[in-house]
Amino acid sequence: MGKPTGFMEHDRQLPDRRPVEERIGDFKEIYRAFPEAALRDQAARCMDCGVPTCHAGCPLGNRIPDWNDEVYQGCWEAAYKQLMATNNFPEFTGRLCPAPCEEACVLAINAPAVTIEQIEKTIIERAFAQGWVRPQPTSRRTGKTVAVVGSGPAGLACAQQLNTAGHTVVVFERDARPGGILRYGIPDFKLEKQIVDRRLELMEKEGIMFKTGIQAGVDLSGETLCANFDALVVCCGATRPRDLPIPGCELDGVHYAMNFLTGQNRVVSGEATTVSVNAAGKHVIVIGGGDTGSDCIGTSHRQGAASVVNFELLPMPAEDRPESQPWPYWPMRLRTSSSHEEGGSRNWNILTKRFIGETGRVRAIETVQVQWAEEAGQPVRFEEIPGSEKTWPVDLVLLAMGFAGPEPGTLVAQLDLALDARGNLSTGNDYMTSRTGVFAAGDARRGQSLIVWAISEGREAARAVDIFLMGRTDLPEKGCCDLSRV
Amino acid sequence: MMMLIPEAWQHHRTMSRTKKDFYSYHACLMEPWDGPAAIPFTDGVSVGAVLDRNGLRPSRYTVTRDGRVIMASETGVLPVDPANVAVKGRLEPGRMFLVDLEQGRIIHDDEVKEAIAARRPYGRWLKENQLHLADLPPGEPAPAPSGDDLRLDQQHFGYTAEDLKLILGPMAQKGVEPTGSMGDDIPLAILSKRPRLLYDYFRQLFAQVTNPPLDAIREKLVTSLSSTIGRERNLFAETPLHCRQLSLAQPILTPADLAAIRASEHDSLKSANLSTCWPQIDGGPGLTRALEALCRYAVRQVEAGARLLILSDRDIPDGHAPMPALMATAAVHHGLISAGMRAGCGLIVETGEAREIHHFCCLLGYGAGAVAPWLALATIDRLADEGRIGGTEPQTARTRYIDAVNKGILKVLSKMGISTLQSYRGAQIFECVGLDSSVTDRWFPGTVSRIGGADMQTITKEIDARWTMIESGTAAVDISLTPGGRYKWRRDGEAHQYNPATIPLLQQAVRQDDATAWRKYRKAVHELNREEGLIRGRFEFKPADTPVSLDEVEPWTEIVKRFKTGAMSYGSISREAHETQAIAMNRIGGKSNSGEGGEDADRFTPDPNGDWRNSAIKQIASGRFGVTIAYLSNAVELQIKMAQGAKPGEGGQLPGEKVYPWIAATRHSTPYVGLISPPPHHDIYSIEDLAQLIYDLKCANPKARVNVKLVSEVGVGTVAAGVAKAGADVILISGEVGGTGASGLTSIRYGGLPWELGLSEAQQTLIQNGLRDRVVLECDGQLKTAHDVAVACLLGAQEFGFGTISLVALGCVMMRVCHLNTCPVGIATQDSELRKKFTGRPAHLIRLMRFIAEDLRAIMARLGFRTLDQMSGRVDRLDINPALDHWKARGLDLSPILHLPVPPEHILRLCIPKGLMNDTQTPPDADLIQKAMPALENGLPVNIDLTVTNVRRTLGTRLSHEIARRYGEKGLPDDTIVISAAGSAGQSFFAFGAPGITVRIKGDANDYFGKGLSGAVLAIRPPDGVAFAAEENIIIGNVALYGATAGRAFICGRSGERFCVRNSGATAVVEGVGDHGCEYMTGGRVVVLGPTGRNFAAGMSGGVAYVLDDADGYFRQFGCNQESVGLEPVAGDDEAELFSLIEAHWAFTGSTRARRILEAREFMQEQFVKVIPREYKQALARLAEEEG
Repeated sequence: MGKPTGFMEHDRQLPDRRPVEERIGDFKEIYRAFPEAALRDQAARCMDCGVPTCHAGCPLGNRIPDWNDEVYQGCWEAAYKQLMATNNFPEFTGRLCPAPCEEACVLAINAPAVTIEQIEKTIIERAFAQGWVRPQPTSRRTGKTVAVVGSGPAGLACAQQLNTAGHTVVVFERDARPGGILRYGIPDFKLEKQIVDRRLELMEKEGIMFKTGIQAGVDLSGETLCANFDALVVCCGATRPRDLPIPGCELDGVHYAMNFLTGQNRVVSGEATTVSVNAAGKHVIVIGGGDTGSDCIGTSHRQGAASVVNFELLPMPAEDRPESQPWPYWPMRLRTSSSHEEGGSRNWNILTKRFIGETGRVRAIETVQVQWAEEAGQPVRFEEIPGSEKTWPVDLVLLAMGFAGPEPGTLVAQLDLALDARGNLSTGNDYMTSRTGVFAAGDARRGQSLIVWAISEGREAARAVDIFLMGRTDLPEKGCCDLSRV
Repeated sequence: MMMLIPEAWQHHRTMSRTKKDFYSYHACLMEPWDGPAAIPFTDGVSVGAVLDRNGLRPSRYTVTRDGRVIMASETGVLPVDPANVAVKGRLEPGRMFLVDLEQGRIIHDDEVKEAIAARRPYGRWLKENQLHLADLPPGEPAPAPSGDDLRLDQQHFGYTAEDLKLILGPMAQKGVEPTGSMGDDIPLAILSKRPRLLYDYFRQLFAQVTNPPLDAIREKLVTSLSSTIGRERNLFAETPLHCRQLSLAQPILTPADLAAIRASEHDSLKSANLSTCWPQIDGGPGLTRALEALCRYAVRQVEAGARLLILSDRDIPDGHAPMPALMATAAVHHGLISAGMRAGCGLIVETGEAREIHHFCCLLGYGAGAVAPWLALATIDRLADEGRIGGTEPQTARTRYIDAVNKGILKVLSKMGISTLQSYRGAQIFECVGLDSSVTDRWFPGTVSRIGGADMQTITKEIDARWTMIESGTAAVDISLTPGGRYKWRRDGEAHQYNPATIPLLQQAVRQDDATAWRKYRKAVHELNREEGLIRGRFEFKPADTPVSLDEVEPWTEIVKRFKTGAMSYGSISREAHETQAIAMNRIGGKSNSGEGGEDADRFTPDPNGDWRNSAIKQIASGRFGVTIAYLSNAVELQIKMAQGAKPGEGGQLPGEKVYPWIAATRHSTPYVGLISPPPHHDIYSIEDLAQLIYDLKCANPKARVNVKLVSEVGVGTVAAGVAKAGADVILISGEVGGTGASGLTSIRYGGLPWELGLSEAQQTLIQNGLRDRVVLECDGQLKTAHDVAVACLLGAQEFGFGTISLVALGCVMMRVCHLNTCPVGIATQDSELRKKFTGRPAHLIRLMRFIAEDLRAIMARLGFRTLDQMSGRVDRLDINPALDHWKARGLDLSPILHLPVPPEHILRLCIPKGLMNDTQTPPDADLIQKAMPALENGLPVNIDLTVTNVRRTLGTRLSHEIARRYGEKGLPDDTIVISAAGSAGQSFFAFGAPGITVRIKGDANDYFGKGLSGAVLAIRPPDGVAFAAEENIIIGNVALYGATAGRAFICGRSGERFCVRNSGATAVVEGVGDHGCEYMTGGRVVVLGPTGRNFAAGMSGGVAYVLDDADGYFRQFGCNQESVGLEPVAGDDEAELFSLIEAHWAFTGSTRARRILEAREFMQEQFVKVIPREYKQALARLAEEEG
């Protein structure tokens, strides 16, 4: 039952990051090892709450207090089992998730939260090290076939669940290798790719087939897929980047963040030898203060940028949770990533007005400071502050302002799938799109979101597909009470 | 009589073998009567009386020199010349008093009983015939399931991860039932969408007002779990064969025990195995047929000579499922009864289902003689093997688990006031919630189930739900157990009222005065209640044809005057949390409740800033912590806590670590010494006693309303009617869901019923008996929204209590660790670091009350009521929502709750409480107060002479109130008011006597002498010129000085049972006491200059007693319960203290006993024993260290 007084005895502690000078010299994991005893102390901080809001705050419904307790007791294998009951890929979430569970941790009401994510990562890495993670081939086959389009976290989770339920699953991926954003979008210093390969290998051993280099809707028509499979699940992500249609946007040196990141990832993995967009020796400006922006900053440092500047339209959030976004909800607060730590400047309340070029190449950016106004009953708006215009010299502009739904055309158009108002695939509560037998999950359905949501969607969609195919399902359900966002 | 009402013989250490054999033999014939009773009897030649084994009824007698014997429940009922008195005595627990008119003499208990016990060679009969488990040759137990099979069995029988982690593991590790805190907020079994075991539909009944619950720990000597099973024979004959039964020391059998029974070739142990598995076909009718077949088979087996029927779900063939073990047991039990064959055999249940204490209680309560929980034990073996029981070996783990189960069973039966398992067996002390009458009438005849519910079809569906989930067996099914979520919220577990949606929304609403958040909160609660929650959620309102406009409805500021916060003691919660509630409620004219831990006197007067930290309601619970005359005098309402929703029939406990010095000061106890509240109020064993306490309280504070808190259960209506007649002003009906700072999980889950049932029953009974206008009805139990309040109001409530939700508004996040002192938000903790984290403000609570009241106004307007008085009791405005039916709840019939016994006009009459006192009567103590006026007004000494009779009760309490009102806790200087009295004093003589009063009485006194003594000095001695020796006769009754906090008492003579129970500060000298002397004592000094009964110092945790032992050392060897105290010789400072007390005794009473002891001081000193609680001694050392 945990250690009742653990939270009173131990302070929150995380593993150290490697020194900045050292880590920007490579693309490897930035964290150092953390002693087991120290981690168990951290697990002992969990209070095994009567109402564990972390468990509601986790979109997967991870049984956080249960595995924290197992870790505290030293029962690692039991912890691993508890972890796998709700989460297909803790090795990914343990590295990439922004941890809404920690914001929802009861201890976080008045003290630093339990280091839930670190504990999660440690459990799964230990399980791999101990050889507990083995392929779980299904004991029977239903004879039904399902095609999953896209091999990002949603597609992979969905495929694994469906395979467990006994269906024959084929995953289609347009890129050369499966993994989607995990492989091509996330830099190695956050997720080394052998971690992805390790999982994919297991999934293949479980009987899941991966067809790579095939773009559904291009190489294979939607109708062909529908004709050949009993169900189709579209998990193609929200890959359409949000644009910045201002003067000069066509200039050389203005790139979408994802092109930049993908190029580097291909080089690190050996898939390519050179990057098409290189920050080496350049003055880089990253527009957009989110996670993708942060990844661009970290990658720029590693490529040897001369300087890195970050713009964000919104005001700088406070370090602490704003009163209007109380515990246990996900708050807008200042988050400083390892990439931010590595250098560069962050600028808030800044609106990009135009790119100024020279011989077709971008050379400067003109910006203006804005002021945000909130009026009761009105959506928040900003106003430009006269006289605050500024010009920034630049060689490389990376646009990281988020994503706006799945790419148009191809599969979506071929199957005439309905979209919602925000341009995402529209489904019912059963994850089925406007076309019978075609399902959608992940960012393609939900819009740009967190990796935990992608996995959660994949799992829940798999249940829906199973029910569609079999009339019932034994796949686990995550249950009620997702925390709403305020 | 000896067979019907035997003494508590099992744990008696000085009883003769002959008598024990007699009782042991007759236990094979019938179960004992063990409830409170004083039974007189006669056969025309002799006349006698016998008292129950625990001495729970008063019975006093006087034998005169001219040959008369007067026996009554009180002394002083007939005038007797003191000079004519030969003996003054009392009936002692389990003892018989017999007058043989032919022989013309009183026959002593021992003489009668020994003679009867020697009439037959019972001992030899037992030796030759009775069988014991240990003597049986071993059999071959079936192999325990292991590996994945075990997991599969666990899933079949509905085990959850929580069962292992929170129930079985801790029981097997610690040997006691696990403790929990806060209330039960999961749906009733019938309203849950998840499958539940049949046990969940049964709620334990408990003793409340009409008889006292027992303390199975501190008064273990009257309890017993031993029983016999096998064939019973003709009750009117006595033969050796009558005791040819299997004797069991306790009712839980291991597989080895059962194997030995099965293997036995003894004809009295001839057993038949009855499989309780049935082919899962035809749903409900299929199960019914299978049960019928089982009953027929059982009858045939008994006809064929089986003496033990073993109902077993051990081997489950494919395609079969086990019947609910409880249903199979009750069916066979009643099937055999109706076939006239029940006495022909014993019933043993071998089941994989039973694992919680409640499960065992249900099985035993419906006729099982023993239970073999094969799966629970196999599970414990596995846990132990995995090292999950703290390294305990499997064998030890099992033993501890069985031990925990036994303790738990004992506690459950003692909550009902039953002390032996034999009396409990088959007694069906349960009420059903959510079973259809077709089920209860058929299989559980005699069990109340008021609102219908699941029928056989639904019950089979519940079984199917567990079965099919597992049988389908795809690899997708994780073979680990489901989390459960009954005790701690989990997404895929049981629904909880307090969950991650509701708690934060409520806190946001009250902290930021955020109406949107409040609306979201309200919606979330309401939806949950409707879908899967509480009975109230299934009601909707019938709007009035002509609604009233909102501004015609009384304002929220009026409505909140009827709102109260929960009774949580200072000690269970922090000072910050306690005072914040008081301040908030005082600001809006509502009422906060002190709880049972007393209150610091500095809170009685308002603070300079105008805030007032005084709790308007002061609680009087069985522990009487800090219940002084000043405390009582500073209340607006006095609440007698008869029961608590989370643990009806039990007393509270405050672990020693939570008793910080500041808590100890308020409670008049010692820091770091754990505190126990007795299960019963030792001055309430009956409704008459309650009336007496109500009267005492009205004397102690004539302006305060007296409120009696009851918990919902079947029969609460009758109790409420009694309470109304006893003079209470307010009756609180609490639901079973109420919170607690610490309680056994069994009690939190399975004790008590929803207030919807209790409130409607109380309302209906009060109306039917014309008593409704005598009392105000109050309701509490997880009231969370105006909807809840409106339902309660329409069902008859006029005032409303908000316990848990008030704490949530102040920051509680339902950690359920109140008992661990680790509350991370500073509420249920005394830790100074954690208390700093408390962020609750009076404004938060006020906003909560306002939100609820404003919502309530909207409902009132819609229903056409301008005031709550108009609304109260209007059940015609309630409707059952027809749209709500999930698969289980379909069979519910809530119409009995909405029954309206008389036309509504009658109940609309505004309630005008009439207490026992009103202006037409002379107020009590009017004469005393008048004579004491110089003292009261000017502090001048007065002397008063007084003649008393036992008709005049609670003498001196009103006078004490007058002192406390004027002079507060400190009262007047010693001897300011000196009263010389003569006669037989009535009950509660100088109860809560205030400092400054000295009473010298010549005569005798009844029960509750000096109850709650708060500083007065009482001295009592026989009248001048008596012929009997004072020290050999009874002079005061039972339960003297109960809950005394200060003062001194000198008693020249002996007292009855339970002298100085829960004394926390008074000094007393007495010349002999009955059983249970100084029980639960936490402070003060007691000197006993004569014999003690049994069980002296049970549960004593503070203070010191000096006892004069006899030459044989009876006290040292037998009289004292040494579980919590140590015995030491008296020397040094102790000796000086002891003899100065004896000198004072002599000075006050002229006691010859005292004089003789003083004369032989050197010699007598060695015979004294010092009784000091071990924990107390350690605490004194710790305190000395902290100070030094």
